[in-house]
Amino acid sequence: MPGNADAARLLPGAAAMSAHRRSMVRKLVVVGVVLAGAIGFLLFKGIGSALNYYETVSQAVASRAQLGSSTFRLEGKVVPGTLHETASAVDFALESNGVKQDIVDHGSPPQLFRPGVHVVLVGHFQGLNFVSDRIMVKHSANYIAEHPNRVAHQSAPSRSRARGAGNHQPPA
Amino acid sequence: MITSKHLDRLSPPKQRSKVERYGVALLGALSLLGIAATVWLGLWVTPPDVNMGQLVRLVYVHPPVAWVAYLAFGVAAAASIAYLWKRTRSPFWDRVAGASAEIGVVFCALTLISGSIWGRPTWGVWWTWDARLTSTALLFVLFLGYLALRKVPGNPEARYKRSAIAALIAFLDVPVDHFSVLWWHTLHQPPTVLDAGLTPHIHGIMAWTLLLGFCSFTLGFAWLLVQRYRVESMRQQLDEESLTASLAERRAEADATADAEADAPTSTRPPVGTIAR
Repeated sequence: MPGNADAARLLPGAAAMSAHRRSMVRKLVVVGVVLAGAIGFLLFKGIGSALNYYETVSQAVASRAQLGSSTFRLEGKVVPGTLHETASAVDFALESNGVKQDIVDHGSPPQLFRPGVHVVLVGHFQGLNFVSDRIMVKHSANYIAEHPNRVAHQSAPSRSRARGAGNHQPPA
Repeated sequence: MITSKHLDRLSPPKQRSKVERYGVALLGALSLLGIAATVWLGLWVTPPDVNMGQLVRLVYVHPPVAWVAYLAFGVAAAASIAYLWKRTRSPFWDRVAGASAEIGVVFCALTLISGSIWGRPTWGVWWTWDARLTSTALLFVLFLGYLALRKVPGNPEARYKRSAIAALIAFLDVPVDHFSVLWWHTLHQPPTVLDAGLTPHIHGIMAWTLLLGFCSFTLGFAWLLVQRYRVESMRQQLDEESLTASLAERRAEADATADAEADAPTSTRPPVGTIAR
């Protein structure tokens, strides 16, 4: 393959190519600066937020004095039997490691919110309560079939129909 | 962009063997069939989840897509090591790394998008700055930077070398991304399949459908890698042949000019040593 210097000397558009090259380098420098800015922003967000994403209820209650009325994320399990909905809020208790905290939430709970699930709340301590304006549901890594025998239930009646016995029960 | 006009200028490609041609076609067909079967099983056959209900159906797409992103970045890193190691150094490995990283970036974007779509109804938010999501976004940007770096003009060998080093640096984020859900508090759940004990937390037909999703998307990655590698090889061949042809044309022009000057009548030239008055 011919060398670049040879190409630059012999090609008619050598000067144009050089200008094109300089323009490309300039564009790439701009792209590089934008990407470096994006990486810097992500690292900043990562150090500032991601590494200590939430405090568990037990951690937050233990360091309540230091947390004061600052806004932070609180994680725990919604205690069954404590959930009460009012016109403007949802009240419940959150628990982790045997420590409970009363919650008053003024946001709109997501569709998977229910007693027994783990949630992350965004809010602050106010008096004896933790007041939040956002609930995020933290689901587990386990996936369990709602009706494990659904396929068997559905295929059994069809086999029965094929044999002419049509009095099957629908699956539970 | 390579068009048929450009391809006509290329020298005839090396004849590919029947096994190679049919093998690649089979790879693509199997991948498509597998993805179609995953969609059918995922949407119509598998049961809803006891907690998530119908929202669980994205589990058959999101983790396989994320896996392909990891795999593609892993292949890019391995090919970069092969390029940096003197005994295996070849432009082949640079092309493999570039092709694989491009596919990885696409699948990383799909991971972020599908995760966001899944996160809104399950978590209640489109996005949050937890360690998993932040490190995935960082991975996407790092490999975008790698692709931009590959385009910086310069001596090919220096370009290949700096790209290989950049790929290895960017790849450092992959284990951080994977283990972030175990190392730090995150909203994202821990791994369902690749946990510390390699014990799957999904069973029955749900597990088989997920496995089919992983296999199909992996086959799809292999097919895309072969195709992208071929396109990159043709582009490089086109660049080299265009430059060689241009140089040959200029040399011919220079020779013709020199010949014309030599053949020109001597009367038109002033005699050597005379001074024009």
